Amino acid sequence: MQSVSGWFLAVLRPLAFVNSHLLRIGRAIGIVAVALMVIAILIQVVYRYLLNNALPWPDEAARFGMLWMAGLMAPTAFRRGGFVAIDMFGQALPVFAGKLLTLFLLTISLVVLVISVQIGYAEVTGFGGKFATASLYVPGNLTFTEWIRVPRSWMMLSMFVGVILLTLVNIELILRNLISIIGGADRLPAIPDANMAGAD
Amino acid sequence: MLIWFLPVFLLFLMIGLPVFFGLLAAPGLLLWLSGQERDITLLYRNVYNGMDSFPLMAIPFFMLAGELMNKGGITTRLVEFSQALMGHLRGGLAHVNILSSMLFAGLSGSAVADTSALGSMLIPAMEKQGYTRRFAAAVTAASSVIGPIIPPSGIMIIYAYVMGESVAALFLAGIVPGVMVGVGLMLMVRFMADKYDLPKAQRIVSPGQSMAPVEYWFSFVVLRINICFLLAAFAFLISGALGLEISGTAEIILYLALFGISHIILMSLRRAVSNDFRMVCKKAVAPLQTPIIILGGILIGVFTPTEAAAVAVAYALIIGFFVLHSIKVGEIAGILNRAGITSAVVLLLVGAAMAFKTVVSLSHAPEIMAAYVLSLSENPLILLFLINLLLFIVGMFLDAGPAIIILGPILGPIFTSMGVDSIHFAIIMSVNLTIGLATPPMGLVLFVAASVSRERVETIAKAILPFLAVEVAVIFLITYIPALSMTIPRLTGFAD
Repeated sequence: MQSVSGWFLAVLRPLAFVNSHLLRIGRAIGIVAVALMVIAILIQVVYRYLLNNALPWPDEAARFGMLWMAGLMAPTAFRRGGFVAIDMFGQALPVFAGKLLTLFLLTISLVVLVISVQIGYAEVTGFGGKFATASLYVPGNLTFTEWIRVPRSWMMLSMFVGVILLTLVNIELILRNLISIIGGADRLPAIPDANMAGAD
Repeated sequence: MLIWFLPVFLLFLMIGLPVFFGLLAAPGLLLWLSGQERDITLLYRNVYNGMDSFPLMAIPFFMLAGELMNKGGITTRLVEFSQALMGHLRGGLAHVNILSSMLFAGLSGSAVADTSALGSMLIPAMEKQGYTRRFAAAVTAASSVIGPIIPPSGIMIIYAYVMGESVAALFLAGIVPGVMVGVGLMLMVRFMADKYDLPKAQRIVSPGQSMAPVEYWFSFVVLRINICFLLAAFAFLISGALGLEISGTAEIILYLALFGISHIILMSLRRAVSNDFRMVCKKAVAPLQTPIIILGGILIGVFTPTEAAAVAVAYALIIGFFVLHSIKVGEIAGILNRAGITSAVVLLLVGAAMAFKTVVSLSHAPEIMAAYVLSLSENPLILLFLINLLLFIVGMFLDAGPAIIILGPILGPIFTSMGVDSIHFAIIMSVNLTIGLATPPMGLVLFVAASVSRERVETIAKAILPFLAVEVAVIFLITYIPALSMTIPRLTGFAD
């Protein structure tokens, strides 16, 4: 058992390291996205009421930011136990059975996520992703003489990246659970800020 | 066949699968089993499309505004203001706790934030005054549910989005029920104060406070502007009734005159109260301007709820940086991070709910459920009683947000087809499930109150029962007297 636990730990440690860093980068981009959302909507309000000019892009830019915020920050919440669930049944079970149940639930989540990754890839690279956003532009060259509309796939990519990160976190949680089942819970690396509260 | 996704979903939920995954796994499994694999892609698309929404953006903004307002001193100011108003009554600090929750509700809309912010301050203060810890924790938990009922409310934004209702209408419809819960709890405290000889508190906690000049002049001007606009609303109401039109220069002169009258009113009140009382009230002006900006902006049609939320964020930042000096630049990243993570979870849930809703429609679940519900009784009053019972039981086990996401698309169409106003039903659901946050065994705020007070959940759960009885009475009042919740949205033209 000790050797199996050691093997799982050898896989878990690099994965936990990668996840910690990826999620940290995700949170940093998410923070910028939240700030940009607020700024975009305030620009919209100011232009409409003070300058009498209804800009088309702030709405879309803010939604762009919100989608990326959700995709990049939700995996952190999942890792910290912030996804809402009724855990009474699992808590009522004996410890070992409770851990087996958690493993089963994480496996269901993994199936959902793996299917989502497949669909997400097809969506981003497929027909829907080939369209462009209505009012968001980026420079088409370094001299800023040409501007091109942002492809919709850039927005759709947010959820694809989100489900990939969620999948990585899910695999980490499964490994943690397996190690815990075979008696190595005390050797697990800690997850920062675990057990976050809900949103209500 | 597809209708079986509902029991499968319930099974997943009961064994502890996170709601987000349950909302996708159960319909996905049944679509696969019934040979509709191509529709699984539709689930994914609907999660994405469900999150890609302008109205939904109000959720991260309100969360952010709440986080910013919570930073440094706001809670203390609200509690001191409440104490100056109600501390002298018997059971003073319990009243203060409830009034603070009502005021706090206008800033944050989160029961958890309310319990943790007010509880950590008021529970020790109440204990020091001789209240039992369980009573203090129970009052805190019971009153915190007012947070998501009085606008702004994250739960109502979610409901409005998932069910295609007006956020403004729901916000307005929540005002009276929220105040009723608060007043009901105060009446219960009054009754218990006589029975258990609960003490009075002093009205002014820290005498001799001072105020920075910027904040002094800010409160000075803002308070007069508020009263001026209130008087102007009455003036326009009267002039409208008399058939007089006030516009152009006359309108400007009217506003200037009313500003002067507001100043005279406040100066005459100045002599009736002590310096300390005035200072405490002035310090509450800046935080309490938030709900006025949000509701006022929505009501007069200047902002959509999403824009109002963004303006509330900007206001909280300006106040925090330049007026109260309570926020430091270094703290902003942490605040954005917390608001972002919490709202990301909610957004994913709402996206999954939109996907779930599609399968609900495909499976004809509302029609099948409606036929079953109508077989129980055709009397809407009895059915509303039964539905309240169901919601109350669900609320015992599930948080309000996810419960609304799951049950809204199933129950909403049934009752609106029976003639119950959709806004009225939304309020019944929201209030009932929000109160569920304080009901054992899984009430979220009970756990937060237990953690803040270091009292056992079971003990608080017993002590909260008289307050829950009041809240249940409010649920039935708003259920059977629709005018209680519908009058304000109807008067303001946000509901038919």
